Amino acid sequence: MTDRAKCPVFFFGRAVGFGLLQNHAGSRILAPLQPHISLDRVLPLSASHNDMDELGGRSRLQWFGTGLRQAAMGPMFLVAFSLISVGGLARDGGSSMGVAVASTLIVWAGPAQIVYFGSLAAHVPLAAIALAITLSSVRFLPMSLALLPVLRGKRTSFGSLLLAAHLVAMTVWAETMRRAPAIPREARMSFYFGFAFVCISATAISTALGYILVGELPAPLAAGLLFLTPVYFVATLVRNSRRPIDYLALIFGLGLTPISSALFGPNFDLLALGLCAGTSAWFIQRQLDHRRIKP
Amino acid sequence: MSHWFDGPLGPYVMLLLIAFLPTEIWRVLSVFFARGLDESSQWVVWVRAVATALLAGVVAKLLLSPSGALASVPLFGRVGAIAIGLAAFFAFRRSILAAILFGESALIFIGWWFH
Repeated sequence: MTDRAKCPVFFFGRAVGFGLLQNHAGSRILAPLQPHISLDRVLPLSASHNDMDELGGRSRLQWFGTGLRQAAMGPMFLVAFSLISVGGLARDGGSSMGVAVASTLIVWAGPAQIVYFGSLAAHVPLAAIALAITLSSVRFLPMSLALLPVLRGKRTSFGSLLLAAHLVAMTVWAETMRRAPAIPREARMSFYFGFAFVCISATAISTALGYILVGELPAPLAAGLLFLTPVYFVATLVRNSRRPIDYLALIFGLGLTPISSALFGPNFDLLALGLCAGTSAWFIQRQLDHRRIKP
Repeated sequence: MSHWFDGPLGPYVMLLLIAFLPTEIWRVLSVFFARGLDESSQWVVWVRAVATALLAGVVAKLLLSPSGALASVPLFGRVGAIAIGLAAFFAFRRSILAAILFGESALIFIGWWFH
């Protein structure tokens, strides 16, 4: 039995036609299946490997602290305030505060939580809710797939990667993609964990606050809180854009949404949009690059 | 199957099955697919473009078919406030804070005016 034949994920990857594992990973795909994951390897905070040089002269704990501080200086408030409505929605749907806070900690995806509690309140069949959440959360695959190679160091464990993938959310993703290039590679994961822990903790608190405060806010202010995500994201995606591909993906994504919604319905519209708009942007960038190489 | 959701822990089991698993599956898959992927490979460049387009789509859906209190602000107000936020972003040397402050002020004002 070969190494590859032992790994079901390899076959799954082939079966769904990604081909990524086959082309780029080969037998390295077995590496994630190592059995022992100690806490120290999941949260690499100690500089036990004598690797201060690779960390830019600071310990992992210090980088973790840098992430904490940078998130606490702004992004933390954005995520927390923009998701304060989740608590209120959960209460309207008849859920307890514990479930509302747990949803922030384990689901950690604003749109999915809103779909979940909103659908519970509207008595949508459970299977339909699960399907809607599955499809609306597809974005985590490309988001995390783009982020993990940026965060990964030489000794990053499977557990760290899983935890990192779990902590991906819109704000954390956008801010880390922007800040990571300025951080030494081996320090990025520690920085990211600090940044994400602050954001998820603050949002857990705001979920509880929203649960208590539901209905207390005047309508225009409540609308303002819900508007935080769109206005912040349009600005952040523009600021993160460096090459034509970034601007094109953003413009196509924003502009084609009504067409995609009309053609593919509320469940599949985002999936179709992401593939069409993203691939078009990528293709145009490739044409531009080729033209530059061959004058 | 519905008896799983009874009792004091029922709502948590339901949250795990209906909301956590459908989201987490994509995160776990990404860890497997990311193995051996290089940051600068064409795959990652493409995947990043798809992720950006998907996020833009989520934002556009929030603006076009909003839920809750945001629905009380007319469409021109929501789109107009984004435009004002973007204008402030460029006017203040690509400042995200300026975009949020001006966009939010515009939206709250329009929402209050039409309330």
